Amino acid sequence: MNTTLNTNGEVKPNLHVKLGNVEFKNPVLVASGTFGYGAEAKQFCDIEGLGGVVTKSVSWKPRMGNSPRRIVETASGMLNSIGLANVGVDTFVKEKLPYLAKFDTKIIANIAASSMEEYRDVLEKIEANAVPNLAGYEINISCPNVKDGGLSFGTNVERTEELTTLLRASTDRLLIIKLTPNVTSVAPFAQACERAGADAISLINTLVGMSIDIYTHEPRLNTVTGGLSGPAIKPIALAQVYQARKACSLPIIGIGGIVSAEDAIEFFIAGATMVQVGTANFVYPDAGVRVAAGLEKYLQQQKIAEVTELVNTLRVKAELKAAGW
Amino acid sequence: MNILPKAGFSDPMLRRPFSVYWTQGDEAEIIIQEHGRGTGILANTREGEILDVLGPLGRPWMFDSADYMTAVLLIGGVGVASMPLLTRKFELDEVPLHTFYGARTSSLIARDHLANVHIATDDGSEGFHGSNVMLLRSYLESGKLESPKIFACGPTGMMRAAQSLAAEFSIPCEVSLETEMACGIGICQGCPVRTEESVFAVTGRRYRLACTDGPSFKAEEIVL
Repeated sequence: MNTTLNTNGEVKPNLHVKLGNVEFKNPVLVASGTFGYGAEAKQFCDIEGLGGVVTKSVSWKPRMGNSPRRIVETASGMLNSIGLANVGVDTFVKEKLPYLAKFDTKIIANIAASSMEEYRDVLEKIEANAVPNLAGYEINISCPNVKDGGLSFGTNVERTEELTTLLRASTDRLLIIKLTPNVTSVAPFAQACERAGADAISLINTLVGMSIDIYTHEPRLNTVTGGLSGPAIKPIALAQVYQARKACSLPIIGIGGIVSAEDAIEFFIAGATMVQVGTANFVYPDAGVRVAAGLEKYLQQQKIAEVTELVNTLRVKAELKAAGW
Repeated sequence: MNILPKAGFSDPMLRRPFSVYWTQGDEAEIIIQEHGRGTGILANTREGEILDVLGPLGRPWMFDSADYMTAVLLIGGVGVASMPLLTRKFELDEVPLHTFYGARTSSLIARDHLANVHIATDDGSEGFHGSNVMLLRSYLESGKLESPKIFACGPTGMMRAAQSLAAEFSIPCEVSLETEMACGIGICQGCPVRTEESVFAVTGRRYRLACTDGPSFKAEEIVL
């Protein structure tokens, strides 16, 4: 691997990571639904400083989204019930994809659907209109906020495997399955994705949560429950990444409450190859770029040449490991 | 603009949206009504503390529309925050201006930087005893306002009343909305405003976003 020197003559750490046969300039992506389709954040964020952009979920037809109220702030986090509001795949391939194609970064198209066929049709439509920096697809089988949506796939191992197999046949680009934490154990889902030929898994999507107005006795969100995200869920996300790491050998993209480089580094140590920054973008639209910069600084300070050296380096005592921890 | 109640974030995590109340040189003023934790922290900020601000954001009042001669500012409570700069603009442009300012009580009125103010208080402690919308209605009925347009900012109930008043008198009306908001820049989709059926039929858009499509909307185009 080539090494480069910075102005102080120190070795500049290598942030590049490879997923399948795609090389990303750094391991920091922005999570679906927290960065729009790129244009919204451009004024505040150097998009080319990101490893890649995971786009807002796109479905076959445009979706209006849920009625308000859609968001509630909670302790160190927030609940959302957006309901997959999106422009639909036609507008996505006509307008959104060509816009993102102008940037020197990778695009991962996130797909949400309510049937096997819809997932496949959306993927194939994007595939037919692919741009050079389209790295692949993230399949959302874990949105908790729509009744006819992906969570019915994401909480059923057989359907997860069947869907992954179906989509695998439709693309040679990266196929990433986004898993939900709203299951008893993430392990069988990770294994199902591996058996079916996915290139990677990403986790976690939001946790089902709720908030109540004690004076009206009404739920604060229109849909009663919503998806919890933000720093509050990071410990859960880390544990789930660690469980998935032990259960399969697929590369993992860690998601959940990452707001700083330190947060991201915990995920690498727990076993993630890449990370996604999500809710933090709502506060700092350039949060992903800040995380990547902080990561480089940490590697330099720790004299670590490659970010990949951090991955899966959790030190657990041998007797604890043997006991299944 | 969207302000983070303290540097670094976790709890509270999100920014809070505010109108720019006044500007002078390179200083911007906001007004705060303590409501919850975020505004509580901001209200207790000491001089010299650094705030993290994203802005200015959103689309301003549509003061350039050609459909009026007299500007009518309808203010309810803390909705006053978006009115001083609008007042300054109308004064610079020499647009005739009337301000109907409704408050619960006299002590809650922020009087600075307004012009030609007609006050209405719920408790009758100052001005007209009743709502500012009723007061405005009496002006409209008497024909004292030549070709007016309403610019309204206040509680939802007041803006709904402004909407129907404008429809009844067939005059243009704009409302400036405040909704729950996370990002303030059109990403999170957390601040939808429902569109009127006629608008939906033409645009196919069920919702607009308060943060980037607004916060100011034509009253006849949205459902409050």
